[in-house]
Amino acid sequence: MSPVPIEGVEEVLGKKFSVIKRFTFVGAVCGGMLGFALAAGTAVLYLHPTGGRPIITIPPFLIIAYELTILFGILATVLGFFLSARLPMIKERVYVPATAVDKFAVTVACDSQPHFQQAAKILSTAGAGEVSQLEEEA
Amino acid sequence: MDFFERIRDGWDKHRKPAHEDDFDYAWTMAIDLDICTGCGACVTACQAENNLPIVGEEEFARGREIKWIRIERYWEGEFPDAKLSFIPMMCQHCDAAPCETVCPVSATYHNQDGLNTQIYNRCIGTRACAVYCPYEVRYFNYTSHHWEEPLDQQLNPDVTVREKGVMEKCTFCIQRIRQAKDRAKDDGRRRIRDGEVQPACVQSCPAQAMTFGDRKDTQSRVAKMINNPRAYRVLDELNTSPSVIYLKKVDADAP
Amino acid sequence: MPPEEQSLVYADVNRDVVRSLLVTGPRYYVALYTALGVTVLCFFFPWFYQLFYGIGAAGMNHPNVWGTYLSSFIFWIGLSHSGTLLSCVLHLTNSPWRKAMYRSAEAMTLFSLMVAGVMVFVHVGRPWFLHWALPYPNQMEMWPNFRSPLLFDVMAIATYLTGSIMFIYMGSIPDFAAVRDRTTGWRRHFYVLMSMGWRGTDREWHRLGLAYTFLAVLIIPLAVSVHSIVSWDFAMSIVPALHQTIFAPYFVVGAIYSGTAGIVTVMFLLRKYMDFGQYITTVHFDNLGKLLLALSLMWTYINLIEIFTAWYSGSSAELEALTYKLFGYYGALYWEMILFCALAPLLLISTRFRTSFVPMLILSIAINIGMYTERFLIVATSLSRQYLPDAWGFYVPSAVEVSILLGSLAMFTTLFLLFVKLIPSISIYEVKETLATPSNKTGSDAWQPSH
Repeated sequence: MSPVPIEGVEEVLGKKFSVIKRFTFVGAVCGGMLGFALAAGTAVLYLHPTGGRPIITIPPFLIIAYELTILFGILATVLGFFLSARLPMIKERVYVPATAVDKFAVTVACDSQPHFQQAAKILSTAGAGEVSQLEEEA
Repeated sequence: MDFFERIRDGWDKHRKPAHEDDFDYAWTMAIDLDICTGCGACVTACQAENNLPIVGEEEFARGREIKWIRIERYWEGEFPDAKLSFIPMMCQHCDAAPCETVCPVSATYHNQDGLNTQIYNRCIGTRACAVYCPYEVRYFNYTSHHWEEPLDQQLNPDVTVREKGVMEKCTFCIQRIRQAKDRAKDDGRRRIRDGEVQPACVQSCPAQAMTFGDRKDTQSRVAKMINNPRAYRVLDELNTSPSVIYLKKVDADAP
Repeated sequence: MPPEEQSLVYADVNRDVVRSLLVTGPRYYVALYTALGVTVLCFFFPWFYQLFYGIGAAGMNHPNVWGTYLSSFIFWIGLSHSGTLLSCVLHLTNSPWRKAMYRSAEAMTLFSLMVAGVMVFVHVGRPWFLHWALPYPNQMEMWPNFRSPLLFDVMAIATYLTGSIMFIYMGSIPDFAAVRDRTTGWRRHFYVLMSMGWRGTDREWHRLGLAYTFLAVLIIPLAVSVHSIVSWDFAMSIVPALHQTIFAPYFVVGAIYSGTAGIVTVMFLLRKYMDFGQYITTVHFDNLGKLLLALSLMWTYINLIEIFTAWYSGSSAELEALTYKLFGYYGALYWEMILFCALAPLLLISTRFRTSFVPMLILSIAINIGMYTERFLIVATSLSRQYLPDAWGFYVPSAVEVSILLGSLAMFTTLFLLFVKLIPSISIYEVKETLATPSNKTGSDAWQPSH
């Protein structure tokens, strides 16, 4: 945990992949199709000729499709972020409030006391300021 | 998903620009400027027929008159050689109307008779159609109007009274066209005969300078007037395809 | 780094921002209540009068059917462009000077969009039916007319508003978390809700960075398209002064220009009244000044092109509209606009001007006055001189319109004043990124950063 984003942590920990870009892409494509379908579909549902133009006019409907592409892309990205960052936090998780100010923390998940002693020794030799044990819901 | 099927079936039909081949009638008005004297009887008749409000002297001075047909006057030269030309200007019912495209709630559209119609109930008063109209024939109700007794007895029951906040314009007296169509239907589905329906302005012109009819009927008087060598359309270069033909005034002094 | 920043540490940032949120003096309340009072008096009362009387309460007539309501609408949409757009562009170019100011700039965007939305209600003749412009299934089986540029406008502004809200919210989540730990009572509940349980783990930071970049990439073309679409409300007509292809770039450049001037004003006020002197420095004003200069030159160029094209076309209607704009009834306003927006910003060439605070404030206000004049002139002069000379007219705004314009400014101020006390107006974590990482010697406990 840290007060600022740190470059390179994800690579070290080995998890770089994120589903967010898939969300964005799918959302944007859906938005585009939905936009054109909305404009063209409602135009043929109630035939309403205006301005000597055809019922399904391409340039204006492309603009509607473009706007909805971006709208759904944005909404899908936000949804993807919340899902992949696992927010909002439903279960109680460990949190050190000082990390929001100027401290950096490393959490290690241990399932038994000997593991905890081992992890504490590794962290102390690496130069940790303080090592403590925190409980977390399973 | 009914509209997907509708889109697929009607793709070619829906991609074709609206054209007068599809219209039932194509109402056209022809005005002979050589005969027109600029008397303004058409303006008065329109006001009486269509329940146009009298906005009052103060509002008129602020430029908020509502005249569905107006006589435009242009002066050339200086006294005593000044020349006056005038032209009655009403909604041209353009086939490629710029005002129809811009209404966000589809309160104006081109109906099957080739008329540019205004749906007062749907209008939310954006006023974009008035900006887009190059002829500036659209008028907005800036305030509510009321007719004092006994002027309210003069109102035409066939035409609505518009509330504040809606646009209105010349409709080619669509209530009269509708009545003529009903009469034709009662008579056994015949078409409206030439000269059977006349808007208020055409009916009231003392010099009979205005002619109204269906240009799809090749025998009608207006259809013949379209081919007159003096015939022209106002602001034709904008490609709005107006349905009002003007016959140019014969000017003995002009080169 | 300017000398005043070298002494800043992470803890100072938290402390200053939390102080800006919690500590309120009487000056703040005076400002807030004044702004609220002016809003109610000058915006809502005249508007309710207009709802009962009709649009006739404004000065519009035939042919000037559009007036200051629409030019105010476009002005507020324009002002909204700079915040989010600039923030996104500078994020993608990794500019360091963006860090302290982008939160307030984005807030400015959000509130201008809201004020612009309210101006639409004031502008239309029957606002109680304005919901018909939205696509929703109804018993009339009527849908809005998607071919209309006004409908593109509805879609675009709705998208931009949603995008701005999402963008500012996502960027603020870590800051809400930082502030939540230091507050109590209703504030704490609010921040707990808004921060969604953010802990600052690497996974969260990484995802946030990705999502934020994607949003920035999406919002840039959106912002360009929004004001182009607003310009097409005008440009898709066929009347002389409005039917020009230059309108889309003209409006976009004008929007970013007036928005950046708005950012300068807001930055000055924040710096002065919220004690953010260490965060908003001459570096920011210098860079904003350079941006303003570039935009001013582009804006001047586009205006010259517009004049040239109108003259070169030879069309008598265009020439008449142009002559009327430059020398007609509103001619004085045109030259005032040129003075404030094309000539005065040339002062920005000097670095000494750019780094002095009060002159920049005065210039930014002058630029916005000039840009409002520009929008007003587009609306008023083009409608006064169209093709048919019999239908020419002129337009004078009425007292109701001027009052509503002032009221919209007060509304924006009220919203912004509420913002500075509820949401951290400087981005805590981004500012920390520009500072030195705390080591063993600084900070309250003897902790050390580790991977």
